[in-house]
Amino acid sequence: MGAIRPSLISRVFIQLYNGLMSSAKQPHIDPKEITLEESTVDRFKSRSDAFWSGMRDATGAPAMVLFAGMVGFGAMGRTNGVDGWFTVLSSFLMFALPGQVVLMEMVITGSSVIAIALAVTLTSTRFVTMTVTLFPQLHEKDRNRHLYATVHLLAMTAWAVSMKEFSSIEVKHRLSYFVGLGLLCWLISVPGTILGYILAGFVPAAVTLGLVFINPLFFLLTFTEVKPWINRIAICLGCLLGPFFTMLDRDSSLLTTGVIAGVIAYVIDRKWIRKRAGLIG
Amino acid sequence: MMNASLEGWGLWLALAGACLGTYICRAIGVMLSDRINQDSEIFRLLSAITYAMVATLTVRLILFPVGLMATVPAWIRILICVLSIGVMVSKPTKRLVPALLTGTLLMVGYGIIR
Repeated sequence: MGAIRPSLISRVFIQLYNGLMSSAKQPHIDPKEITLEESTVDRFKSRSDAFWSGMRDATGAPAMVLFAGMVGFGAMGRTNGVDGWFTVLSSFLMFALPGQVVLMEMVITGSSVIAIALAVTLTSTRFVTMTVTLFPQLHEKDRNRHLYATVHLLAMTAWAVSMKEFSSIEVKHRLSYFVGLGLLCWLISVPGTILGYILAGFVPAAVTLGLVFINPLFFLLTFTEVKPWINRIAICLGCLLGPFFTMLDRDSSLLTTGVIAGVIAYVIDRKWIRKRAGLIG
Repeated sequence: MMNASLEGWGLWLALAGACLGTYICRAIGVMLSDRINQDSEIFRLLSAITYAMVATLTVRLILFPVGLMATVPAWIRILICVLSIGVMVSKPTKRLVPALLTGTLLMVGYGIIR
């Protein structure tokens, strides 16, 4: 660090203020950390800056992963003889890859319409809590009816990135950042599906294997970046209990494991971890 | 193969049902998020539940896959995951893309040599 400039000091106060207003997870802020994170003080100049920055961030790993996943999904539709419009429309209108895979599986095996709708909805229950954990972090003014449209852009990829980045973004710019990020992910999923549908059959099976594998691998890797202990415990318990509940009943396993593992993690956190200062992430 | 699958109106009704079910979950989330403060206890609980759900989904995709991925032995899938995580945590920052490439290329490599 060079000499301390007056502007730096005022920035420190802004950072302190933002930090206190935006999250209670940081009860006290070490001044050393602030100077290290100087670039995050005024991370974005304006809403459009935040929007384009979200888009830029999406063009890295998130879009790559989603694109690969959608190509894999398109290929799955083609190789099973499912209608092309059906395959592409599900990416555009559902924009939830795990749900789409469940839909595709059940359409191929000829399940009833009611059973399909129920199974897909159960797989999508994660969106309830994903939205509930992400949107309260937005600015008060942004939390209006428009969110009912914006929420369609919310998928696991954008959620994982936003949960990580929001803490270093000013509250007023968070929505723009999220829209930029989510919009690109959504828009890229349609050409990805079309490409997979067209390419299936030309591409060797080894490449398709890689494309299908990249999605779960991405989620697994983002878990290593989760900081709060309560969420780390929840992830570990989910990984341990998940296989058991999946063998019991595949469709409802997300909901049952999520609630049981989440509650246990919460109780462990509340009873033991929170009392020890320094362990709270 | 196609004789069991849904055709005609059933196919599109299934799509409509799936889209509606997915959107309803998102909309319920927006509705509830109005009343939830991010500093509250319920927020902490719901975060934990969400992470557990996402973890379950990930494990399900890796351990209980359908279609092509199911033809890969489980121990190969797990081994590749462990190696990728190893690359990821070998340095605390900016290792996501190298780790992703490691895992994906290993899987493609397995597909070629098997």
